[in-house]
Amino acid sequence: MDFSQLNAAEQAQMSRILEKKQMQDFLKMYSNLVERCFNACCNDFTSKALSSKEEQCLSHCADKFLKHSERVGARFAELNSKWAPPTSESYSIHLASRVALRSHIKTYEYID
Amino acid sequence: MSFLGRGPVAPSSAGPLSSERVEAAIQEVELVTDVFNRIVSSCHSKCINQRYLDGELSKGESVCIDRCVAKFFEANKRMGEKLQTMGAAAG
Repeated sequence: MDFSQLNAAEQAQMSRILEKKQMQDFLKMYSNLVERCFNACCNDFTSKALSSKEEQCLSHCADKFLKHSERVGARFAELNSKWAPPTSESYSIHLASRVALRSHIKTYEYID
Repeated sequence: MSFLGRGPVAPSSAGPLSSERVEAAIQEVELVTDVFNRIVSSCHSKCINQRYLDGELSKGESVCIDRCVAKFFEANKRMGEKLQTMGAAAG
């Protein structure tokens, strides 16, 4: 992502916004991780305490997910530099959504 | 002066805040973050053994992740091209 087009005031605002977004993203990732590992590991409800097997499973699950996320991040960074969403592409997606909206409106014209 | 569409331009250190530019940048950040989260989720479902016998990624899982990410980007690119042709045809 290239922010060299923004002036100093804009860059300052961007970094504030980015920080906030990163925090939100982290919290989202955390709850996602908890749910994922819970669903995978905790399926025995004969007791309300976590068994040692479940504890180990949760620990492995968290480790694995974080390592996985790290690896995806590394590959993503390599490939992202090659894939930059150019403005023309975004514009065509905008066009496509207008097409979808038009046909959606058309269906309502017949309803009277 | 740059004759390329979005060539490198020296940033003006002064100047008013253009909320338009900031909004466009925010949208790009959101798009990239969204794509990243989707890749993490998809490739995790497809590549990682759900039994969690070990806390380390196996060699097979690592290779799978590399290929999964590459394929996702490829699919993303094709989709973008497809939408472009569809948009141009209908536009």
